Amino acid sequence: MLPSENVIRAAGYAPPETPFALVEKRRGAVCIAAADARALALGIGPGLTLADARARLPELAAIDHDPVADHALLEWLADGCDRYSPMVATDGAQGIILDITGCVHPFGDEAGLVGDAQRRFNRQGITSALALADTPDAALALAANGDGRSAVAALPVTALRVDPETHLALRRAGLKTIGDLAGRPRGPLAARFGTAMPVLLSRLLGEEDVRITPRRTPPEVQVEARFAEPVTHAEIALATLDRLMRDAATILSDRGRGGRRFEAALFRSDGHIARLGVNSGQPTRDAAIIARLFRERIDALSDPLNPGFGYDLIRLTVPVTEPLIAQQLELEGGGVTDAELAALIDRLSTRLGRGRVRRFAVGDSHIPEQTAFELPVAEPGSPSIWPQRETDEPPLRPLHLFDPPQRIDVTAEVPDGPPRRFRWRRTLHEVTHAEGPERIAAEWWKRRNGKGLTRDYYRIEDMRGRRFWVFRHGLYGVEKPMPDWYLHGLFA
Amino acid sequence: MTAFAELAAATNFSFLHGASHPCDMVAAALELGHCGIGIADRNTVAGVVQAHVALRDAVAEAGQPIDFKLIVGARLVFADGTPDIIAYPATRRGWGRLTRLLTTGNLRVEKGGCHLELGDLVEHRHDLLLIVMPGPCDGLRPLVDAARGNIWLAASMLRGGRDRRQLRDRIEQAAAMRLPLIAVNDALYAGPGQRRLHDILTCIREKRTVQTAGRLLASNGERHLKSPAEMARLFADAPDAIAQTQRLLARIGFTLDDLRYEYPHEPVPAGYTPQHWLETLTLTKAAERWPGGIPPRLSTLLADEFAIIERQNYAAYFLTVHDIVAFAQGEGILCQGRGSAANSAVCFVLGITAVDPLKNNLLFSRFISEERKEPPDIDVDFEHERREEVMQYIYRRYGRERAGIAATVIHYRPRSAVREVGKALGLSEDVTTRLTSTVWGSFADTIERQRFAETGFDPDSPEIARLGEFVGQILKFPRHLSQHVGGFVLTQDRLDETVPIHNAAMADRTFIEWDKDDIDALGLMKVDVLALGMLSCIRKAFALIATHIGTHYTLDNVPDDAPDVYDMLCKGDSIGVFQIESRAQINMLPRLRPREFYDLVIQVAIVRPGPIQGDMVHPYLRRRQGHEAHDFPAPAPPHDPDELRSVLGKTLGIPLFQEQAMKLAIVAADFTPSEANLLRRAMATFRNVGAMDQFETKMVGGMVARGYDEAFARRCYQQIEGFGSYGFPESHALAFARLVWVSSYLKCRYPAIFAAALLNAQPMGFYAPAQIVGDVCNHGVDVRPIDINASDWDNSLERAADGGFALRLGLRQIDGFREVWARLIAASRPFDSIEALARRAALPQHALRLLADADACRSIGLDRREALWEVRRTPGDVLPLFAAAQARELGIEPAADLPQMRPAEHVAADYQTHRLSLKAHPMQFLRGMFEREGVASSAATAAAKDGRRIKTAGIVLVRQRPGKGNAIFITLEDETGITNVVIWARLFERYRRAIMASRLMLVEGELQRSPEGVIHLMATRIHDRSAELGRLSDTHDAMPDTTRGDEDLHPDYPRTHGHPRSVRVMPRSRDFH
Repeated sequence: MLPSENVIRAAGYAPPETPFALVEKRRGAVCIAAADARALALGIGPGLTLADARARLPELAAIDHDPVADHALLEWLADGCDRYSPMVATDGAQGIILDITGCVHPFGDEAGLVGDAQRRFNRQGITSALALADTPDAALALAANGDGRSAVAALPVTALRVDPETHLALRRAGLKTIGDLAGRPRGPLAARFGTAMPVLLSRLLGEEDVRITPRRTPPEVQVEARFAEPVTHAEIALATLDRLMRDAATILSDRGRGGRRFEAALFRSDGHIARLGVNSGQPTRDAAIIARLFRERIDALSDPLNPGFGYDLIRLTVPVTEPLIAQQLELEGGGVTDAELAALIDRLSTRLGRGRVRRFAVGDSHIPEQTAFELPVAEPGSPSIWPQRETDEPPLRPLHLFDPPQRIDVTAEVPDGPPRRFRWRRTLHEVTHAEGPERIAAEWWKRRNGKGLTRDYYRIEDMRGRRFWVFRHGLYGVEKPMPDWYLHGLFA
Repeated sequence: MTAFAELAAATNFSFLHGASHPCDMVAAALELGHCGIGIADRNTVAGVVQAHVALRDAVAEAGQPIDFKLIVGARLVFADGTPDIIAYPATRRGWGRLTRLLTTGNLRVEKGGCHLELGDLVEHRHDLLLIVMPGPCDGLRPLVDAARGNIWLAASMLRGGRDRRQLRDRIEQAAAMRLPLIAVNDALYAGPGQRRLHDILTCIREKRTVQTAGRLLASNGERHLKSPAEMARLFADAPDAIAQTQRLLARIGFTLDDLRYEYPHEPVPAGYTPQHWLETLTLTKAAERWPGGIPPRLSTLLADEFAIIERQNYAAYFLTVHDIVAFAQGEGILCQGRGSAANSAVCFVLGITAVDPLKNNLLFSRFISEERKEPPDIDVDFEHERREEVMQYIYRRYGRERAGIAATVIHYRPRSAVREVGKALGLSEDVTTRLTSTVWGSFADTIERQRFAETGFDPDSPEIARLGEFVGQILKFPRHLSQHVGGFVLTQDRLDETVPIHNAAMADRTFIEWDKDDIDALGLMKVDVLALGMLSCIRKAFALIATHIGTHYTLDNVPDDAPDVYDMLCKGDSIGVFQIESRAQINMLPRLRPREFYDLVIQVAIVRPGPIQGDMVHPYLRRRQGHEAHDFPAPAPPHDPDELRSVLGKTLGIPLFQEQAMKLAIVAADFTPSEANLLRRAMATFRNVGAMDQFETKMVGGMVARGYDEAFARRCYQQIEGFGSYGFPESHALAFARLVWVSSYLKCRYPAIFAAALLNAQPMGFYAPAQIVGDVCNHGVDVRPIDINASDWDNSLERAADGGFALRLGLRQIDGFREVWARLIAASRPFDSIEALARRAALPQHALRLLADADACRSIGLDRREALWEVRRTPGDVLPLFAAAQARELGIEPAADLPQMRPAEHVAADYQTHRLSLKAHPMQFLRGMFEREGVASSAATAAAKDGRRIKTAGIVLVRQRPGKGNAIFITLEDETGITNVVIWARLFERYRRAIMASRLMLVEGELQRSPEGVIHLMATRIHDRSAELGRLSDTHDAMPDTTRGDEDLHPDYPRTHGHPRSVRVMPRSRDFH
């Protein structure tokens, strides 16, 4: 399986028209982590920097490398291999090992099984190299290094799973293939390359057999209730779920952990499975909170829970947990508010959708409208540190900003005097007090021409005591002959 | 009009804070009509001399005094929360307080930075005028009480939104503290246009990109110099703050011209004046040297020189240099003086130089220009391996507060500028690396559009255009201060009361914060204590000769008359010889055909950018070979037609040396001596481009007006241009020529010893060990491989069968080997097995592997493969205590019977482990393949007819792009010899990547043969065939070194990052031992 194939699959089996590479940042440089078959054929492989690769192949497309997605794909393929054998393991980022001892009869013989697997992989658009051997080590070596059919003895010494230093030392000794090593007494080898090396060699040569360790992905916590008689009432099902939550909470509490995700599976006797999942913003094991979240979830379902012929199995799993230390309530109850706020956010997010509940974050810029922006509350991110207002100082900037700022007509002294009077929404305001300018220059790097107008901000108060935040857009005579004025905000 | 002076002006010596050169700050202040400026950088006075010189030049240009006052000081930045305080010395004494204060802060930190606290300033406050910059003033009470009358509170109006309110507060605060308020604009750059550059500098400083720096950047661009009228408008609420700038300015009585220099008195015994002692010492030494009486001509010379030295008051300087040289000689460290004053009879007698003025007809007065009032110049070269001893002696003798090394201002170079500006603009590192990797070193002072295009970037894209713009501005900006290679400033008074002192990065070194130009500008005295690899080599050769032959040589008793040595040089056989071993020099030798010492002086000086750019080389050669009359360019009457004979007599009417070109400007173009000197300085620094044009007009115009041929005048000017950057005065050439002679003599008479000494003195010289060994083999010397039973750490001599000497390669040639291991091996020889080696020499496993892989175990019957196989099972690091107990612990094994290693694999492994192979040349193994492609060997190429088209291939030894870069010279080597390739610049643009990256290059071209038999291949096509080297071996990486000469290719590599030769152009394969 090539990492690039995940991209091809994700793009609906339509790869980019040009050769492409997956890139990642390594020590400051953008490097190629993997490339598709066409790029590989042109000599562009892992380790090259993107700039070098582009110099050779200017049309090369670059896509961010996503090892997590690749791993997910591998796991998905391994799931599919369950059909051949219960003994399935993954190896590294690209390998799957099956122990097919006693499993070949549905396919006639071993070759039949391999052929079937090959066909299935091909159908999924997965490049695969399959190899059969007596030991997992040999099979992996053959699949990775050979064409799957040649003998182990013809493989290069790099097929031996030892560190690259040993590979080099072996080649320097003139021993280039596994065959060169096979006939040698193991004692001298062990004396030079460590005792592990002859063992690995024996495994590769099939002289020593080892079993694979099948992969298992049990949820961290799983509790279930089986019913001899299917339960046909939704209320009873929900009550059962509540009980399971308490059981799960006990287990979590014993382990000092809290769940971040809870999944319920209600197995109907006719084979239908209703799956529900809820997330919490902070690790929790409070059964009441979880139950409430589930209720919210169920209430939000477009088609309500239908027991139909009845549930015969209800299972609650907690796939994601985090450490949660038992919290002591503060005497005056102060610490609880955080938890309550978190619970509220969880409820709102569950009901309204994650993207709907938002918080403000600090934007690092001198430009006023860019000093704050919104983020989904659940989005991880460093907590914002808001600039502290200096004590004894009136606020420099208003809480309310107009977006966009509103054009006003202003009478002011040139070049950079404060406004004397201005007209806003057809009302004339006589300015009695003014302070400024606070001069904020444009962010030249965001503009193609590298220029942009400077703003001169003034805090002003009119005769009726209303306070405004206005700015002159452009330096008089320098950047603009007659700069425009805008009202940007109102002070409370 | 309001009188105002900005007294808080920073320059780009406030590293990464200020965004303008000192001279630009001064120029802008003059332009705006300020009545003065105060230059104050952050905890440094490194930039003030440049400002001082800028004003001095402006006055000289105006031709009359200017009503403008420059005051210099420093902005003190404290570590204890005190607001910044700018300090200006009012008197010379105040300057001393300031420099001592900065020195105190500098020496508190290991390297870089200055740690100051308010208490330090209170202690050093005398005669300083202080401006307290905005900030909390709560803790200032002790300073205010102590320095009342000399303190101002600064106020600025920087458009922060509440300027007027803050100004009001500041007025109240000043009143409460009973201090006057002074108006500043806290300028960081000269004009509003530099705001963007300042943002970039901020990003570099904060290690952020401009996109993410946010509020770390200044919110606006107000911190430039503003006109007095504008300042008056801003400070309308506090007109007195503007007036205070005049009051402060008026109180400063100090300028940098007040710094007076005095020589140290140490070398003069009590009761003598320096002059008296110099004469006594010289005459005593002369009497020792000529026991039969001092030759009369020498007496006359000495008397003349004494007179000049007395008039110029240089005696103390000569004595100081003599003191240093005498120390070195006492320690057996070879040294030799050069520089304008070094070629004098006094220096010869005192042993400072080995150039005999009697034999060479030198006139001291030729090198000392009395009217120029320049300090005499003596640089002393010491053996590079032992120079540190000399430096530590100087510190010991004069004390750290009186001796310091000059600074070198490290400037932004194209590479560093692209890298750092690129980073600040948010370009990823691989992009900037690509942009810099193909820039041909120093020839890319401007980043050319084509460079961008070649690397696959659109030069018109906004990011790249911006990069180009900022790189152009930041080039030549000072980046940080570093120590000069060896320029010492010694004073009688405390040096730290003249200039602040810093700790250097190297242990036990301190340096002052002014560089060579600053020191020159202020008339301070400097002695250059330089390191020269050839002196180490010569000393080692002398020692080997003394041990093995019994002859005792010194620099001045090597016979200076040996026709066989000149014969050798005439053939161009000079690999390893000092100075004349480069390709261009080797080609020049058969043309110049040196037969006497002065020919060597010319040989050293002629292959230089000056004569080459001035097109003086060929006329000289034609005259020398008798093809052209030795006539002298003559002016029109009424001028003396022979006026140039005195200037150019010795060089057949062609100016070759720097002094001649300067003298020409004076004699033939009516320059005053100080103008000629200004011209030279302008050339050397390339700072004032406008002034250069004026000089050209003046020089060419002056010569033409006097009746000289205009073409000749133009050539003379071009030559001065060339000298500016790579000047080679006659006095240097003379000193170097002596070392050329000594090394040629050694090479000719003692080839094996000379090669051993060269190898033992590495890194030095032009060639890599492979070429040195190859050359000595070609001279019939038996070179023997590294072996555990024969090699010492150093390369050594063994008796050869014919009674001569054979060269035994030393263990130092093995990459990564250590001297201690070599000593252990030498002490416990002989060995009959790897086990014995491991046990008796107690070597770590790593050392054993290095030895085995270097194929150094042949004498115990093991080749590298067998030895490595054996080593891998041998435990290393055996403690001697347990050695006996472990005796013969390893069992007997069945024979391993490993496959035989191919010869090509051996050669590749030799190159990887010790960068040369005695077994074969790598090209030998590729010959069959290349022959099938019709590629000729070097020997075949050399034998081909003139004008033939030919293909040849070889390992790249040297790439050079001399002078203006019209042609690139590449030397290829194969098993039959070398081929010299010339590539014209236009072809270079096409094959840039192949030329830059090739280790094995295939060149197609046309053969050219000069009348003297020098052969060049004029390239028409270049192919990078480096990949073929991979065929030699799949386990070792045969990447031959280019020579040191190839450093021209990467002049931008910071020298501190190890020797340029160890910078491999291609990455090494992953290699483990």
